[in-house]
Amino acid sequence: MQHEPVVRLEGVTKKVGSRTLVENVTLDIPPGQVFGFLGPNGAGKTTTIRMMVGLTSISQGDINICGYSIKEHFEKAVANVGAIVENPEMYKFLTGYQNLRHFARMMKGIDAKRIEEVVRLVGLGNRIHDKVRTYSLGMRQRLGVAQAILHRPRLLILDEPTNGLDPQGIRELRDYLRHLCRDEGTTVFVSSHLLSEMELMCDSVAIIQNGRLIDVRSLRNGNESKAEAAETGFTVDEPERALAVLEGGSREGNVITLKLARDEIPEINARLVQAGIKVYGIQTVTRSLEDQFLEMTGGDPIG
Amino acid sequence: MGNFLGLVRNENMKIYRRVRTWVMLGILAFCNAILPVLFSMVDSGGQTTLWDSVMLTASFTFYLCTIFSVIVAADSVAGEFSWGTIKLLLIRPWSRSKILLSKYIAVILFSLLCTLLLAAVAMLASSIFFAGGGESSLIGPGESGSAFTFRYLLCDYVNLFMTVAIAFMLSTVFRAGGLSIGLALFIMFAKGIFASLFNPDRYGWAKYLLFSHMDLSGYLKADEGPGGATLGFSLAVLAVYYIVFMAVSWYVFHKRDVAA
Repeated sequence: MQHEPVVRLEGVTKKVGSRTLVENVTLDIPPGQVFGFLGPNGAGKTTTIRMMVGLTSISQGDINICGYSIKEHFEKAVANVGAIVENPEMYKFLTGYQNLRHFARMMKGIDAKRIEEVVRLVGLGNRIHDKVRTYSLGMRQRLGVAQAILHRPRLLILDEPTNGLDPQGIRELRDYLRHLCRDEGTTVFVSSHLLSEMELMCDSVAIIQNGRLIDVRSLRNGNESKAEAAETGFTVDEPERALAVLEGGSREGNVITLKLARDEIPEINARLVQAGIKVYGIQTVTRSLEDQFLEMTGGDPIG
Repeated sequence: MGNFLGLVRNENMKIYRRVRTWVMLGILAFCNAILPVLFSMVDSGGQTTLWDSVMLTASFTFYLCTIFSVIVAADSVAGEFSWGTIKLLLIRPWSRSKILLSKYIAVILFSLLCTLLLAAVAMLASSIFFAGGGESSLIGPGESGSAFTFRYLLCDYVNLFMTVAIAFMLSTVFRAGGLSIGLALFIMFAKGIFASLFNPDRYGWAKYLLFSHMDLSGYLKADEGPGGATLGFSLAVLAVYYIVFMAVSWYVFHKRDVAA
């Protein structure tokens, strides 16, 4: 049971007229992870999320949430889901608390205590009794998260949650997503086009482009343990001589870059030192997700 | 899954927590209170009875009542779309049919509240200025004033009920509050013109038109309606239109892809 995926997308396709927005996406989202959904604007992220929560019909394929098909058993499937789709729009003429009461009434077993607990968790404090009209974007985002986690969903779906948040707000969001994931075992599915954000937030990412899933990868496989060769830079005092000693590599200022496996790094260092070259620093140039992402989707315009 | 009454309470909260709603109810109460005063000032020789005053008042204020109910009905679904809250509403463990039904029930409750407020205030204000008994020009001989007034208001409510159904359908189909308010009120005011343009006495098919039957008050005085129709026939025509309006609303709301 534990390793049964929380969400299973099976050959999901969305067609509107002659255009295909999402094409044959198959994806399993394992439980207890922060799972990223990455893609440029217009790649089909929001459309996929809309299908996952039943806002949009699925042209082909099916989506199962906790074992229930969103097509056949919408009410049972969606009971396990909390979501913010795009901006966290609330009833502006109601107070934050009334908004939460509103959504609490739509679900089973949410009492006043749980509402208070959630308000405390997202840090809205006394402002919860003010009209939503007076809230800043950051506070609306908090209220959005509060309504989404009210019923302790097993799956939390957030569409571009960091949009419009300041660095402080982004950090807080990241912290309580981690908290939800770790302490309450919630699976979090976050979409974004902000690559650096995803790197900090997610355990795994799926990358989508032009409606097609092009890669799924884990971000938490300790890079060092891999025998895979990585770009390694040596900062030295005599780069020209170092190039000659090593018989290879590329030079950029005082940095010599080579493609090396982990075990080769001390060896190369020893050779440089033996040749009387001073080594000031050794750095593994980890390609950021952004580089990988651009490499993968590189040059392909939005279709 | 939860409690359906909770959904209706939610919809009620969204209606009555808005200042707008109380402004509308205030205007309605004020107009119903002030009209009998005006009637009492122009009434020479005590010709007007209590029930005359109530019906005269209602004949003006029922337009307001209909307009306000139409505004609430038109905003019910369209408002959720324009606020963007529809996305939060539809991802709860409730079928779309139940959500739409809860909205419709709240709208009908509001229209009933308006109508009751109208009747209560009009009767209260009229009773201050006019006496209950006496012959009336509006009410047929040998009829009780209260029963006639009740039936008169009931006819008005049927009219309102159909107009609200149109507004609710347009709101669901077009997701635009202004458009549905405008079109529904256009139908409310233009139906008299349509009814005389396509007179059932002249065109046989016109007796199946909605406009010919929305105003049932003719049956209070005569047994025969437009084009020789009976009350039963009129009600049947209204019922068919009503079912069509509701079916269209349900179908569209159920099938719609909610996109930005």
